[in-house]
Amino acid sequence: MNKTDLIIEKVLKEPVTDHVVLSCSRAEAHSIRFSNNSVNRENLHKVEEEVKAEVGYEGRTGVYKTNDLSEDGIKHAVKKAYEAAKLLPKDPEYMPPVTREEAGAAKNFSPAFGEVSDERKYGILQAAFSEIKKAGLNSAGILSTNPYTVRVCNNKGVRASHSNCYSSFWLTAMTGNSSFKDFHITRDFSDYDEKTFVADIIAKTRLSKDPAPLDPGKYTVVLSPAAVEELLMKFLWYNIDAKAIDEGRSALSKRQGEKIAHESVHIYSRPDHEKVSLFPFSPADAMPYIDFDMIKDGKLASAWYSRFYAAKKGVRATGRGPGSVIFKGTDKPLDKLIANVENGLYVNSFWYVQLVDLMDGVFTGMTRDGLFRIKNGKLAGSANNFRFNQSVFDLLKNTAEIGREKNMTYTSIPPITVRDFNFVSKTEF
Amino acid sequence: MNDLSEITNYLKGKKVRFADARENLFHEREILTEDTRVEHIDEQHVLGTGIKVLYENGWGYASTSAKDLDSLRKAADKALALAKHADKSASGKVELASEPKHVAKFVTKIKEDPLGVDIGDAVGVLIQAGETILKGKDVIKARGYLVLRNIKKKYANTEGSLIETNIYTVMPEIMAIARANGEVKSRHYRPSPMNAGYEYFRGLDLQPEAGRIAAQAREHCFAKACETGPATLILDPEHLSLTMHESVGHPTELDRVLGYEESCAGRSFATMDKLHKFKYGSEIVNLIADNTLEGGLASCGYDDEGVECQKWHIVKDGVLCGYGVNRELAHKMNLARANGTTKAANYFDVPITRIPNLYLAPGKKPLSFGELIADTENGIYIEGQGSFSIDQMRLNMQFGGDAFWEIKNGKLAGMLKNVTYNATSYEFWRACDAIADERFFKRSGTIICGKGDPMQLAQMTHGASPARFRNIMVRRSK
Ligand SMILES: [Zn+2]
Repeated sequence: MNKTDLIIEKVLKEPVTDHVVLSCSRAEAHSIRFSNNSVNRENLHKVEEEVKAEVGYEGRTGVYKTNDLSEDGIKHAVKKAYEAAKLLPKDPEYMPPVTREEAGAAKNFSPAFGEVSDERKYGILQAAFSEIKKAGLNSAGILSTNPYTVRVCNNKGVRASHSNCYSSFWLTAMTGNSSFKDFHITRDFSDYDEKTFVADIIAKTRLSKDPAPLDPGKYTVVLSPAAVEELLMKFLWYNIDAKAIDEGRSALSKRQGEKIAHESVHIYSRPDHEKVSLFPFSPADAMPYIDFDMIKDGKLASAWYSRFYAAKKGVRATGRGPGSVIFKGTDKPLDKLIANVENGLYVNSFWYVQLVDLMDGVFTGMTRDGLFRIKNGKLAGSANNFRFNQSVFDLLKNTAEIGREKNMTYTSIPPITVRDFNFVSKTEF
Repeated sequence: MNDLSEITNYLKGKKVRFADARENLFHEREILTEDTRVEHIDEQHVLGTGIKVLYENGWGYASTSAKDLDSLRKAADKALALAKHADKSASGKVELASEPKHVAKFVTKIKEDPLGVDIGDAVGVLIQAGETILKGKDVIKARGYLVLRNIKKKYANTEGSLIETNIYTVMPEIMAIARANGEVKSRHYRPSPMNAGYEYFRGLDLQPEAGRIAAQAREHCFAKACETGPATLILDPEHLSLTMHESVGHPTELDRVLGYEESCAGRSFATMDKLHKFKYGSEIVNLIADNTLEGGLASCGYDDEGVECQKWHIVKDGVLCGYGVNRELAHKMNLARANGTTKAANYFDVPITRIPNLYLAPGKKPLSFGELIADTENGIYIEGQGSFSIDQMRLNMQFGGDAFWEIKNGKLAGMLKNVTYNATSYEFWRACDAIADERFFKRSGTIICGKGDPMQLAQMTHGASPARFRNIMVRRSK
């Protein structure tokens, strides 16, 4: 046990009330940000260590977070949380701490990952800069490593702990009038293939040069996994909470039991997914994340349930949101999807996606860092960027083909082909 | 302060070109109410020190939450090591604009420490507003939100500056959601967030506003859908605050303009070749940056590079004439000095150029809001903030709003729904043909402006008098 754990045990041995939860997190991040083919400004190393004290008092819950991990610091946080709880009105949705039995259902996984040395990080960057400079292109992006540990302890005997790491390399390459972006998400870069990653970015960036003027309208599009993620996650975030659905404030309120997606669309959560697994339990209260379906057979399968609302409805809590979001893919590579489109567009990423109409699931946003024309099944140069106003229900219903999943930080999502995607205006680049 | 100076002196001995040390406390209380219950409270108290080093032409940054000198020295060594690594891949010479040495203190003028007040007081006020909102016909949800913030900093650099700042911020909001006529619509009341004490929150009378937004949320459900096509818009100060933030504030951050933010926030169409030439707006458009504004969210005396807060024009008589500039990039504009708007959100964050307090200057000719409406035959009046999106060069923008009214024959004629408008940012500002005078000026602003990678949040005030924009493309959102 380290020093913080000993203090936590001491505090929990004599809890101030029958409801004391101490969540402790430690994240040690190194982020190397670069632009104009060089490392500048944001080259930072940070260690964030924090304890969150949650104290319940007669049906009320107070919270206080501190990064003072001394005994006095943690005791002070408990005191402040207790004081806050006493000043609050009784909460009809109050929930006592998670029990050992509840917490025991968590899937146990502990991913293996190695330490990434500074030499390795700067080596990856130098190699990329040198290839990109050689190609006569500019670059910007970030390489970061983020090992972390979370530990949730409460006075009911729960001691949940998890260590993991997520690391990533985001690289945008630019010509004078266009750009292309890709990323590699990993735990420790042991699976990073330098040659392919940078070479593919260089090839696509060259192809993006001199975007052709194109008018907005409805197009058949192949959306990259990142583009699908941007829209899907916003959509889920606004709409899939069970309480909001029941209270009539979600686009899904009037669509329960209705067809909301093509039959082939299957969206689910799997906390112990081989690549996409950040936490086996909620770092807030140690409640386990569970396997469940969100959209299946073209319909809403299950919404997201908080612990309180799940208890009220007599179902299992999924968390708001869940441990991960998986969009079930196929074995078709992206090229295959593009090959099956005679005339359309390939969208590499979206930008500034925002809600436009809640009740019909309409979102707006821009294309960014790679919008390519598809002609006779091949990428044929780039086009000026578009703004879309698109209903996610229409998008899911008009999904014509699904490709191979790509693992991202919190999701695993395939590229998809969508008919009649609604671009409404264009921009100057 | 002694420890911080000791660290900068220690680094001086290691032959760094520049170094600074910043102790940063971020103390924030957040309260979110749902109907008549507390949905969420959060209070965080995060204290630590960040150390920035320029070695030759490489930057390094490291931080620690420990307070002892030994830990500070270790962080200084880490920052120096990172700077040496970065120097190896540096692309050019780093030149820092000079800044006078400051030994100074700056404190937000307050009567009552917002974080010293019992949480029960604010919760009570928000729940009371919730009760009033829920009395509204067809209202299905009430929300209240309050953020109370205290940011305390101590700063020392190798040039001898020693600065202490102590900033207090209050940000309240209430919201109603109504369901009727097959629609669900929300309506907000957002008094301007302010750098102020708790007395600002105490001075707000939320009750009448709670009743009003409940009724307007319902009225919105019965509103007529707008027509698609070019229209005249009159925009209220709260709405304009968001438009100017996105279409003027971000594109005139010089680091963005020069490509440093490409990977995340993007770049800017407002490139330096356009300075003092480009017609950003019509001749009546003056957009002023002012980090000395009393109570302004970005007013902090000195920024996180030790530069004094200043006031300058971004757009003067319609022409682009300034940027937000840090010490490293000032020489690119031949500026002798940065303009004091570079900040970090937390001790572990690197300071970056942030949007200053930025406002649209009121019209010079006497013009009331009523006269502005009366002078407009047909159009749409928009209040508050709704959907907003803009491309990464800050050109193609699309905005919604919180509430919309039809203007018919110079009069407000009932609410509209499903309104969005779309424009190229400079065409939008060029289409401004009338601005109400200073009597109608109102502040607004944000405390959650995101920038950087990893993302950092910053706060800044905006403001305007109601203004009119001609021939803007309005699109019915569904
Ligand atoms: Zn912003």
